[in-house]
Amino acid sequence: MPKTLLIHLRSGSMMNMDSNCAVKLMSAALDKGYNVRLFGYGEGVTVIKEGQDPKRFPNVGNELKKLAERGATVVVCGTCCAARGIHRGEEIQGSEIGSLTNHLSKFVSEADRMITFAR
Amino acid sequence: MIKMADSILILCTRAPYGTEEGFAGLRLSLAMLASGLVGRSSVLLVGDGTLNAVATQEPTAIGMPSNAEAISDLADFEGEVFVVEEDLKSRVGDVPVLEGVKKVTWDQARTIIKDHALVTTF
Repeated sequence: MPKTLLIHLRSGSMMNMDSNCAVKLMSAALDKGYNVRLFGYGEGVTVIKEGQDPKRFPNVGNELKKLAERGATVVVCGTCCAARGIHRGEEIQGSEIGSLTNHLSKFVSEADRMITFAR
Repeated sequence: MIKMADSILILCTRAPYGTEEGFAGLRLSLAMLASGLVGRSSVLLVGDGTLNAVATQEPTAIGMPSNAEAISDLADFEGEVFVVEEDLKSRVGDVPVLEGVKKVTWDQARTIIKDHALVTTF
């Protein structure tokens, strides 16, 4: 049975390198056969916003879309999204606006390892 | 084989009210307990995070949600909240802490960290 890696991302898509590091780690874990799940909380929810266009910087939204196509689960906190004006229908394909109680708690209960990206 | 996680520790390292981190960590812990899917969800207050335990905090003056209420909510779900006493004392002296918060030494804190399957930091 493959192991499950949970990424808890609390840095925003353009705040620093945290989100870039998270997607690189997710990609490497998928390569190794892990089940990979990302839960965005606080500023971390901004990574799933459709239409990111950071010009010369890596596009975390596009990277997450590719990771979702490869089987990664990408969910963010709905309350944190609402606080930031991000609504259902605005998320990138393959991601989901969810909740702490329905999603993160399940992810935590099923995780073999959890890594937090935050500053 | 690694056991699936049955417990999570929220390590709060930041002062209340300057950022959303303290409140966010406490709410996350509450959500884990409310879900019924995670057997044990505890909070350990360290460093500036120990200020979340101060009983006399009064955030209505700045219009922010109360971390004291968030800690009280955790007690309703039998969530444990620990504060490292020496870190608190070094910041504000020997002050009363919120009901239900347990004072611990750093040696005890290390054991608490070891006793949880997953740890996340706020």
